[in-house]
Amino acid sequence: MTEADSEIIKPEMLKAFVWLQMSDGSIQQVEQEVAMYCPFICQEIHSGMGSSKNYPISLPSRVNPPMLSLILDYCRFHQVPGRSNKERKSFDEKFVRMDTKRLCELTSAADSLQLKPLVDLTSRALARVIEGRTPEEIREIFHLPDDLTEEEKLEPIKNTMDDPRIRLLNRLYARKRKELKERERLKNVEVEEEHADERSVDDLLSFINGDNDDSKGSRTSKNKKKNRKRKDHHKTTPSNSTSSSSNAVDMNKKESNELDSVCSKPSLHGKLLTDVCHETKLLDTEDAGLAAEDEFDDCDLDDDIDPALKEKIDREVEDFARRLNSDWPERMQEILSLGQEKRPLRLTINGNGSLRR
Amino acid sequence: MAYSFPEEVLEHVFSFLSSDRDRNAVSLVCKSWYEIERWCRRRVFIGNCYAVSPDIVIRRFPEVRALEMKGKPHFADFNLVPEGWGAYVHPWIRAMSAAYPLLEEIKLKRMVVTDESLELIARSFKNFKVLVLSSCEGFTTDGLASIAANCRNLRELDLRESEVEDLSGHWLSHFPDNCTSLVSLNMSCLGSEVSFSALERLVARCPNLRTLRLNRAVPIEKLPNLLHRAPQLVELGTGAYSAEIRSDIFSNLAEAFSVCKQLKGLSGFWDVVPAFLPAMYSVCSGITSLNLSYATIQSPDLVKLVSQCRNLQRLWVLDYIEDTGLEALAASCKDLQELRVFPSDPFGAEPNVALTEQGLVSVSEGCPKLQSVLYFCRQMSNAALVTIARNRPEMIRFRLCIIEPQAPDYLTLEPLDAGFGAIVENCKELRRLSMSGLLTDKVFEYIGNHAKKLEMLSIAFAGDSDLGLHHVLSGCESLRKLEIRDCPFGDKALLANAAKLETMRSLWMSSCSVSFGACKLLGQKMPRLNVEVIDERGPPDSRPESCPVEKLYVYRTVAGRRADMPGFVWTMDGDKSLTFS
Repeated sequence: MTEADSEIIKPEMLKAFVWLQMSDGSIQQVEQEVAMYCPFICQEIHSGMGSSKNYPISLPSRVNPPMLSLILDYCRFHQVPGRSNKERKSFDEKFVRMDTKRLCELTSAADSLQLKPLVDLTSRALARVIEGRTPEEIREIFHLPDDLTEEEKLEPIKNTMDDPRIRLLNRLYARKRKELKERERLKNVEVEEEHADERSVDDLLSFINGDNDDSKGSRTSKNKKKNRKRKDHHKTTPSNSTSSSSNAVDMNKKESNELDSVCSKPSLHGKLLTDVCHETKLLDTEDAGLAAEDEFDDCDLDDDIDPALKEKIDREVEDFARRLNSDWPERMQEILSLGQEKRPLRLTINGNGSLRR
Repeated sequence: MAYSFPEEVLEHVFSFLSSDRDRNAVSLVCKSWYEIERWCRRRVFIGNCYAVSPDIVIRRFPEVRALEMKGKPHFADFNLVPEGWGAYVHPWIRAMSAAYPLLEEIKLKRMVVTDESLELIARSFKNFKVLVLSSCEGFTTDGLASIAANCRNLRELDLRESEVEDLSGHWLSHFPDNCTSLVSLNMSCLGSEVSFSALERLVARCPNLRTLRLNRAVPIEKLPNLLHRAPQLVELGTGAYSAEIRSDIFSNLAEAFSVCKQLKGLSGFWDVVPAFLPAMYSVCSGITSLNLSYATIQSPDLVKLVSQCRNLQRLWVLDYIEDTGLEALAASCKDLQELRVFPSDPFGAEPNVALTEQGLVSVSEGCPKLQSVLYFCRQMSNAALVTIARNRPEMIRFRLCIIEPQAPDYLTLEPLDAGFGAIVENCKELRRLSMSGLLTDKVFEYIGNHAKKLEMLSIAFAGDSDLGLHHVLSGCESLRKLEIRDCPFGDKALLANAAKLETMRSLWMSSCSVSFGACKLLGQKMPRLNVEVIDERGPPDSRPESCPVEKLYVYRTVAGRRADMPGFVWTMDGDKSLTFS
């Protein structure tokens, strides 16, 4: 081509454009070579759409103008064939630096346009946002509902549902945990080392003693009855736990919300509180964290427990409390004041000795 | 406003989360994420096979492709868990053979695996790729033959440290001629000789073979044959490294090594003849991992070898290396991250080598990336521990084994509380700690106060009273595994901290002072724990309630009490009377 020729034929005239329409009705004109980088748009063009303003390509609703603009920036860069891998990688790294909200929108939009490389890029970025975070943090970041009940976060022991004593203990345990939390929230706690021991025993004692206060049908059990009706309505079969999403029992939602707020308060020390927080993370680590349906509520507190048995348990609990209560403070003094007792020297190798590599 | 994604997009995001911790977090976010996550979870790690049942896992995760599981408690390595205790994998294999036809990987540690299980694996999973049996037992080479013969796409067969009944070496010949998929083969724990020609042909036809760990029976003269057929090897475990000293053997070996330009890891080295070590020098500069724990060679030879490996990151060696050798290591290997020094003569009354605390101090001074230590020695001082702690605050794993139980600081004759205290105070990222020597309750106070990231703690012959255990249970927030032997810990600390046990994977206490009555109480009050008493003297209720139990193993579980307990294990649960399985 001579210089004279290039003056006559303007480069822009050689470029093709496509017209894209978004869900808000606005229409945009985009260089075809850039837009075709999106498989969705490519398909539409091949079926004859988009070549004029009157027949624009209708983009999926998840693509709004700001997202389209970002996507086109991405396409405009990557559709140029000459770029090195290093260049592309560098562009990508800078490109995904945006707030999580936009990242989510962009992932969604890219997915609807079937632009896989961009979906991968944004998905990886989202995975990095999630990495290392607690469920509470993730919920906050993505604005998700906290709709798993506390029981659902923990799979109940199947075969103990037959034993009314275990059910009683489970129930008491959960209720006492809740009461203790309430109590702690009211106190201003700064625990010193010496008191740590007493507090832990105290907590355990009140946990145990507390069951004497509400042995008969209490406020909580009434709520449970009410909610059980609602739950039965939703639930399919008790044994089919794949329908766990249909177990929409809200009964303990309040409890689990309290639990969450308590756990997030950094000022609350106290051993039992830590334990309580750990409860919800019970299956956090490698024991294949499991959650399940809300079988906890299948029974009613008072119906099945034989009164004589209950009395036996109450006595046992009192006994335990008495033992701890009477023994511990005195024993502690003894321990602290006495010198160290020497253990007889063992001649065998200690437990660390091993020839296993 | 929740961001609405199609499920596939969310699944795609989750697919980039590699850690189980992250996947577990994701599943606890909300109902819809829980559902999405469980359908796309492909890898499950179960730290305690009794914490959950096969049915529960299968019900929740219908599309699993890889299972990793651990069985017996760690102290089984020291013969503290009697034979027949449990950890049978067969029920899992049976359940998975029906539920997971597409299963590809099984990795087990400290579990009992039978030939029946291996045969079932070989028959059930058409796309089976990876079998790793670490410290397992219960199977023979016949089971291996099934795997070799039937798993068409086998990539990894790794038997590290398993106890295999070695009926013959014929199993290797069961790999069909069209098997070309092997990437990793570790048969180092086997005794019998395999057919060398079968091995040679297998190695030759697997172009992707990266890891080859031979057993002792493969002679050094044959090693070049294998290396020439697999120059792409990244990890090599030699067989016996000795032969009569002949120049042709040496030159063949040296030439073969020089061809393996990708070698990064070396192990094996049984019966080492030092004269053959220089044959490896051509690959030393690329070596990052060196396992010389079977190499009974003296310090000068060790030093010559190790100082060639400037990029060494991991070294496992016998105490023949001595303090001088460790000094040389500290001078040459600045990238060293992990050091394990094993005792050559642990049962001898007197030291047989000049290895003291000084060796470890030198390495802590010279190696800025040191983060993982396992060190056997015969003397230690608080001063040395304090120095090590100050030198290496990024330490993650610290396991010190002073061979004589309750040995005090050899300089001051004091307990080693201050030394270990310095370790936990300075090394804020410490995740694993194993202690020895003379230790009082004070050290546990330090641990409880400072070791906030500690996940695993091993204690033996330490402490004075329940206060020690109480400090650990009440202070160590991240504690997952606690194993204790021969310590004066009793009922009080255990019962007062009962709730803590639900936040941990397991607790092991043997030869302590926990009474049968306390075990019963613990079992009754904590329905989500399995409280198992191991007592080979007979039923615990044939002795007074105050009588201490031999061994106690407590672990959290959602599967209830196990049904496969042998006669010397009793579970303490809600039923007042003793329950047998």
